[in-house]
Amino acid sequence: MGVNESLGAVVKAFPQARLVAFADLSSRMILSSMGPLSTTQEYLDRLCDQARTSFDDPLFSLSVEAFGEPNAAVVMGPDTVRVFLRSDVEPADALCCICDHGIDLPAFVAKIRTTLESITHAG
Amino acid sequence: MNRGTLPILARLHSLQTSARIVPGGGRVISEATDRNPVAQMLRVMNETMLARSLRFVSAAGPSLTLDVAGRRVLRVTGAEGLMGAETCLATDVLEDEHKDELIKLFQGVALVREELHVFSGPAGRGGEEVSIGLPVALLADLLLVDLNVTEPDDDPVELPEVVVPPTPAEIAAGETGLSGFASAVGPALVAWLIDGGAEAGRTDGPEEMVSHLQGFLADERDSLERQFDSLSAAPGDAICMILGAMLVEGHSIVGARIGPSILLGVIEGDATTATLGAWRAALR
Repeated sequence: MGVNESLGAVVKAFPQARLVAFADLSSRMILSSMGPLSTTQEYLDRLCDQARTSFDDPLFSLSVEAFGEPNAAVVMGPDTVRVFLRSDVEPADALCCICDHGIDLPAFVAKIRTTLESITHAG
Repeated sequence: MNRGTLPILARLHSLQTSARIVPGGGRVISEATDRNPVAQMLRVMNETMLARSLRFVSAAGPSLTLDVAGRRVLRVTGAEGLMGAETCLATDVLEDEHKDELIKLFQGVALVREELHVFSGPAGRGGEEVSIGLPVALLADLLLVDLNVTEPDDDPVELPEVVVPPTPAEIAAGETGLSGFASAVGPALVAWLIDGGAEAGRTDGPEEMVSHLQGFLADERDSLERQFDSLSAAPGDAICMILGAMLVEGHSIVGARIGPSILLGVIEGDATTATLGAWRAALR
């Protein structure tokens, strides 16, 4: 299954997922995205930057000190939930997701983890 | 009424109450309409003189198994669907330092609007030693529960002044702000503090963990605000962020901001289940 198909499967399984994007955090680029949310390139760039910010100081250092390097971040605002997940083996590979508050977060995190693993291993 | 007769009347009242048995031999001790299931749970324990294993099961799923004897809770022998039970489970004899965690477990299993069942069996181990453990009366005092209610709890005329301990769901429904968020996340939030705003200074959890978080915030509050601003639509917007290795197990860091208040905490176990609902409630 290609990257687009993998991302599409996530969107299909979780209608509350409005955007699921595969990013290369090292080059700050969204390589592929799926979902009903219409976006501009600037929007995708900003989403990628937010993923990098999530895995940055000061909370990153606190996490490392407390339990080790974090690979998952959930950012909740007033309207949406953003989920950022980095690959354990290729930390530059990440999924950046925008969801409605109604999402089944535990199930969604589990799904995107397996999706990211399959994308990373296929690459 | 002579206070000495109250326990007797309470016991007589409970004996008169028709029991409803559930599959497996359990007994319904609190209906979905009951205002204070934790109180019913405590009363059952308070009626247990001989060593017994009491397994309390919520219709919602969580269960808690205790060795009880001589109106004392000796130990926790099982916990399913409950976060934060590790310390109590690991100890052979409950002591004063365990009471807060134990109360959170009670509140986690005795959920309002859910039936609560009790299954009784032989005590696990060492039940004959009744001079140890935590007295049920002490736990009841901490929860402001009257163990000697002689009338049904649904009779408002005869109800004593019982303060119902709020469950995470209730807090989520009725309390806003970061304190409400912390309460609604429940026992999974093992240590937290709030800095700034009207809720400043509120903390919970082991002192060494809270003190570490305090030190971090003292040094990094400004940079944390900047990190939040980078992730918000506008500077100062409400935001909650969880950072973890797995999010569903191990430990995660949670940082949240509403107005001038910042919460910083540590979540143990699944950080995904309770936080979203708790955050929505905090924003109401």
